[in-house]
Amino acid sequence: MRAKFLMVLAALLLLPALALGHGPTRQKVTLTAEVAAEPDAVWAVVGNFDDMSWHPAVFQTDGDGGNAIDATRLLTLGAVDGPTIAEVLYKYSAQKMSYSYRITAVEVAVLPVTNYSSHLTVKPREGGGALIEWRGAFYRGYPNNDPPEDQNDAAAVAAVTGVYQMGLDALVEQFGKPGS
Amino acid sequence: MASLVLKALALLTALAAPAAGDVAYVTCQNGGALSVIGLATGAEVSRWPVPGKPAGVAVSAGAVFAVSPDSKTVRRFDPHGALQAEVVLDGGPIGVAHDAGRGRLFISDWYNARIWVLDDADLSIEAELTNGAAPAGLAVSPDGRFVASADRDADQVSIFDAARLALLHRVTVGSRPFGLRFAPDGRLFVGNVGSNDVSVVDPAKGRVTATVPVGEHPYGIAFAADRAFVSNQYENTVSVLALETLAEVARVEVGEYPEGIDDTADGSAIVVVNWFDNTLTIIDAQTLSVLHTMDTGEGPRAFGEFLLGGSI
Repeated sequence: MRAKFLMVLAALLLLPALALGHGPTRQKVTLTAEVAAEPDAVWAVVGNFDDMSWHPAVFQTDGDGGNAIDATRLLTLGAVDGPTIAEVLYKYSAQKMSYSYRITAVEVAVLPVTNYSSHLTVKPREGGGALIEWRGAFYRGYPNNDPPEDQNDAAAVAAVTGVYQMGLDALVEQFGKPGS
Repeated sequence: MASLVLKALALLTALAAPAAGDVAYVTCQNGGALSVIGLATGAEVSRWPVPGKPAGVAVSAGAVFAVSPDSKTVRRFDPHGALQAEVVLDGGPIGVAHDAGRGRLFISDWYNARIWVLDDADLSIEAELTNGAAPAGLAVSPDGRFVASADRDADQVSIFDAARLALLHRVTVGSRPFGLRFAPDGRLFVGNVGSNDVSVVDPAKGRVTATVPVGEHPYGIAFAADRAFVSNQYENTVSVLALETLAEVARVEVGEYPEGIDDTADGSAIVVVNWFDNTLTIIDAQTLSVLHTMDTGEGPRAFGEFLLGGSI
């Protein structure tokens, strides 16, 4: 019992450190997808911060605050007892069909990034349909010098790219490719 | 009438003159390059390959210093891009400030809570200063008395006597100070990315005299027209503070992830680089209108003083 308490205490003491240092080079990823549906229809699906069910990796979204600034959501990945990502909304415009959010807590083993922020935007596509743009800015998972391979800059970019690609592919599947 | 026209013409010329001769030396971290941009022409004059993901930059007459944290390398170039000296510093070099009067270059070590003091000509190590955790931004006061560092993970600034290289003060500021700069009147302005405010510090007394709320994630600070300009990294804006009252008089929309910010030699304009957009924005320091947006290399940081008066 006492040992467990000490372990929890140790974990708590470690927490502030997670929010501290980061790697020297911030990374960025921008992925886009074109779909046949009009922006309004796409926005109706992706435009609610408390519902990320459109992404295949997300098992459950527990939102608090809807689309208000500082609203939070907890994403559970894969299964009911899967790993989680906690996020906060810091910018939202239904008119611009765009919102921005940050990760407030994630295990590096789940997503090897720190100081992660992201924007999702839906725009009209030239010639009809919609363009979905998903952008992220983040540091690698390893905050110190000389990172191990699974927590370096390339690993961070690969992981975020994989998440975005999977989500955008699902939206193309749902809304169809624009006709040529 | 003719004289009125001439006056108007002179005024227009004066208006166009902002930044006329200034050259921006923009470290483009993701692209591993330094973009040299003539502000008057809006053209990228040249792009120097700078390996190792350069972030920190300092320019002085005759010298451009760039710090590449990934390869732990500090380089000195002449204004035309010829490499004059380079050194590898074992640690996490990131921020840089130049004390041209004493021929010294200060480099912060993000990972080892220290500042390297280098000879600015051959970049040999002259001394090391012990610091708070994760020092990032560095600045030398206009009168050359002080050198200060923002110790991000210690929530403090360290102020040293720049001549004797002796510690004067550790001053607790807001949360996660990253960028800092001395105002023309000698006060030290510190951007706290964690608490979204700016701490104003009296460097002689080592005391915070004011804390001013700004936008989200304030990153860099520059001064012109009796105002402080603060780039708000997560908000795509620049907060404008009146130096006399410290009131925020405006918030100017710029590009995405605004970071390094500096003032032109004539004080007429402010230049800020937008990391996500690969652009820089020129703001009229008086009217606060955006004059131009220009392209840079990939991932501009320009973390430091990156504008040099005069053309090349």
